[in-house]
Amino acid sequence: MNRKSPTRRDFLGKLLGAWSLLAAVPVGSMILQYLAPLKSKETLKESLRVAAVGDIEAGTAKIVRFNKEPVIVVHTGTGQFKAFSARCTHLGCIVKYDTDGGWPHLHCNCHGSEFDMNGKNVAGPAPKPLAPLKVSVQESSIIVSRV
Amino acid sequence: MVTIITSRHAIIQWLEDRVPLRSVVDYLSKKKVPRHKHSFWYYFGGLTLFFFIVQIITGILLSFYYKPSPSHAYESVQMIVNEVPHGWFIRSIHSWSANFMVGSLFIHMFSVFLMKAYRKPRELMWISGVLLMFLVLAFGFTGYLLPWDTMAYFATVIGTEVPKTLPIIGDWGVSLLKGSDEVGSETLTRMYSIHIIILPLSALVIMSFHLLLNQLLGSSIPRGTIEGGPPIRFFPNFMYRDLIAWTIGLISLLAIAIMLPWGLSDKADPLASAPLGIKPEWYFLPLYQTLRMAPATVFTLNGELIVNVVVGIVATFWFAIPFIDRKANRGQKSTAFTLLGIVLILYLATTILLAYTT
Repeated sequence: MNRKSPTRRDFLGKLLGAWSLLAAVPVGSMILQYLAPLKSKETLKESLRVAAVGDIEAGTAKIVRFNKEPVIVVHTGTGQFKAFSARCTHLGCIVKYDTDGGWPHLHCNCHGSEFDMNGKNVAGPAPKPLAPLKVSVQESSIIVSRV
Repeated sequence: MVTIITSRHAIIQWLEDRVPLRSVVDYLSKKKVPRHKHSFWYYFGGLTLFFFIVQIITGILLSFYYKPSPSHAYESVQMIVNEVPHGWFIRSIHSWSANFMVGSLFIHMFSVFLMKAYRKPRELMWISGVLLMFLVLAFGFTGYLLPWDTMAYFATVIGTEVPKTLPIIGDWGVSLLKGSDEVGSETLTRMYSIHIIILPLSALVIMSFHLLLNQLLGSSIPRGTIEGGPPIRFFPNFMYRDLIAWTIGLISLLAIAIMLPWGLSDKADPLASAPLGIKPEWYFLPLYQTLRMAPATVFTLNGELIVNVVVGIVATFWFAIPFIDRKANRGQKSTAFTLLGIVLILYLATTILLAYTT
């Protein structure tokens, strides 16, 4: 077998190739770490005062930010308050309170998903119910808290 | 007079000695472009390049005033439109030209597909062309958020959520794109950076490769097509014809940019409900409509995940067309692929129409 022994140039070429590959790993990893979202320094709140009871009329809703998430607080026609994550479980659009069709529900304008007043997905492409939150009335204030 | 001509010749000679462009001109004037009944479709590649050049020029002009932050972006676009001299016109041209570019790119791509111009030895031209198509769509997506108006905001919320269902890379990829848990200031600066630096640089590299191959390999003649006369010289004959097409493109662009100035909806409010009738740009409507029609679950699998996987398979298949269509490579008629192209065009057209009408 006539096997040619590698020259110094071959060796240096292979060494350079291997070094480039090895160098790409830490460089790539560093860039990915740099681009990864920073961890939030905000501490999660247990509850939030949304509004005074009289501020949200019966049959209307208000959207507030609670722990960085949009939350929809609905004053149902029956005088009850209900709160859910306002982010549609399909593709993240903000839902709205709607009574079209004669029934109170939450509607997403983006792809037509609908949720009943228990947060359950009842129509459209949304795959999951809206996450519910606790609502209470304390000294005429509407308070939303984590479940 | 003689002195001026002599010194002009001296300057040309001086330049020629240092930048030997004459050999390039010689090469281009020897290059021939075939003439046949489908030659008309050749002009859409050049037209796409023309709209890309318009995008670069108007994009640079807009970047002098645009401020990429949620508290200033909308106001800076308003300023461009209302206060900066000719600002509304530059912005209108930029927005319309983006649509013209996507339109002529799609016509170019489907004409290449139906003429089977991807067959050997032009496989890499096809692959680089498909890559350019994805880059152009990425240009559209990243640029859409920049005005920070309601439509743009929710279109980006949806667009960045779509890949989330993909296993392993979905969540990670989306958070890398958004730079945060939600579409906010980090998302805007990332989109801006991608839109004005990463995409133009990538497009220039791939486009140069695509054009180089076009020069080296020439234009493909569809199988069984009878040439309608002797081929014409690329330089200057075909280039003059190309310039006529560019002029028609420019006149149409200017006319529409003046008659239908590009609008701006209300400033984005991340706590407002998505507006009624929200839709992405027309070239994303096939994906939008498919997602809309997909059921929430199919045999316990997430409907959105199924759409993502199908889109991924179709995209991979589209890249690999020159290697799958073996009949075209052997110079035979490949009716199945022609039908496939027609079905795809019909699907795109139907979903766009459905998205507008329902």
